[in-house]
Amino acid sequence: MSRTPNRPPQSILVVATLGIAFLALPVVGLLQRAPWSSLDDLLGRRAVLDALRVSLTVSAVAAAIVVVLGTPLAWILARVDIPLRRLVRALVVLPMVLPPVVGGTALLFALGRRGLVGQWLERWFDLTLPFTMAGAVVAATFVALPFYVVTVEGALRTTADDLEQMAGTLGASPLTVLRRITLPRLLPAMGAGLALAWARALGEFGATITFAGNLPGHTRTLPLATFQALESDPEAALALSLVLLAVSLTVLVPTRDRWLPTR
Amino acid sequence: MNRPSHPARRPPSALSGLMLLVAVALLAGSCSSGDDDERLTVFVASSLADVLGDLGDAWKSFGGSELLEVVGGSNHLAAQLRDGAPADVFLTADAALLDGLSPDRAPIAVLNRLATNHLVVAVPADDPAGIRSPADLQRTDAILVACASGVPCGDATIARYGDLPIDSYEPSVRAVVARLTLGEADMGIVYATDVAAEPRITAAWNEPPACPCITYAAAAMTDRGSEFLEFLETTTAQGVLAAHGFAPEPAPSGSQ
Repeated sequence: MSRTPNRPPQSILVVATLGIAFLALPVVGLLQRAPWSSLDDLLGRRAVLDALRVSLTVSAVAAAIVVVLGTPLAWILARVDIPLRRLVRALVVLPMVLPPVVGGTALLFALGRRGLVGQWLERWFDLTLPFTMAGAVVAATFVALPFYVVTVEGALRTTADDLEQMAGTLGASPLTVLRRITLPRLLPAMGAGLALAWARALGEFGATITFAGNLPGHTRTLPLATFQALESDPEAALALSLVLLAVSLTVLVPTRDRWLPTR
Repeated sequence: MNRPSHPARRPPSALSGLMLLVAVALLAGSCSSGDDDERLTVFVASSLADVLGDLGDAWKSFGGSELLEVVGGSNHLAAQLRDGAPADVFLTADAALLDGLSPDRAPIAVLNRLATNHLVVAVPADDPAGIRSPADLQRTDAILVACASGVPCGDATIARYGDLPIDSYEPSVRAVVARLTLGEADMGIVYATDVAAEPRITAAWNEPPACPCITYAAAAMTDRGSEFLEFLETTTAQGVLAAHGFAPEPAPSGSQ
């Protein structure tokens, strides 16, 4: 798509600037209150390092699961004529619109120790998800998966499958087509979806505290630690927020232009 | 699915839907704001939330207005008050939190020793893990939840029981009770009044009330709030508190 060389209308510029200010203001607020002088000390605390480690581990594992589960799911939604597709798609998007606390409660009733499936996990495999890091991964995956699926599905639907069909007529096996044509064309969208899903997993709070609980070193992620510190130690809460901000920006800013379509 | 063939048609319908939503929201807002002004806003520690319903009924029989309850961990509520949240009354499980309010948000009246409460170890009614004695608190094969430090019940838990292998630190005592009623935790440290109020949990073992316990305080943030504080001192209000298991005087001091 080509950009118009004309100057955009004044009114649009004004409103867009307001939008930028609205989004930037909270970040500025955070930065100006940050305890810069004692930051070294605050960030070196065991509680902060524990939360950072839990957050990075949980969000990384969740992101990996999201790619493994989400890529075939997106492909099926975009390319295969499955029954009840609308219903399936609504189900996939549901965690995006559901309040995370509701998601966490739903996970408890499904995978909790007395949940629909959870009771059998515990009885047969001695596997308990609540109050474990695996539970935090489940919560993060649940809320992050739709972001990846929606992004990749959108890309699959907007790229025509003409090359795939051509390769098929020329004798390439379906797997070769997938490996040599579909996946390489899909990589940018997969990267964009992964970045969004990872960011969502990193910021996850409600489903985690509801389903996985809050234990330092195991399930207390950066957002939970921030919430915990806010009432008792606001300085530490600010420091934790800065860590979260820095980690998010480090991953999102360099990848933004490469992965998110900039048309 | 095909993309819509007339994309230009969609924005107007989406936009009008949005405008309808906004209109409904505005209408709802203007209707309910009248009632809000009448009500007395009470910020209440989660362990007092159950009794506040009955207190509110008694208050109304004294000619008082409807109560608007905001329930939470006392420390979370105090933080909201510090940030300027509007409240007429603050019922806290930790009187020290009142000192932390900023000078321009200082209470205009305080009722110390509103009631007291003490901690117990509670289990789900069917006691799946077979919790029998204080030694079971150290069991690592049973899931134990308690309040987080900073929340009054969490600080009291540390003071009373010391270092425990806790599996999850919850933001309020209500959250601990919920873990037990849902069967997610095998034992939890809650208030005696929680066990009395919730049939799905029981005390793990019997023991005389022991301190450190907690003493509730009431603070009036507005003139209307002071009237409610006067009501709390009446025998009627004290009777309601006693009926829910809150002791008027501190429980006998334990050996710890």
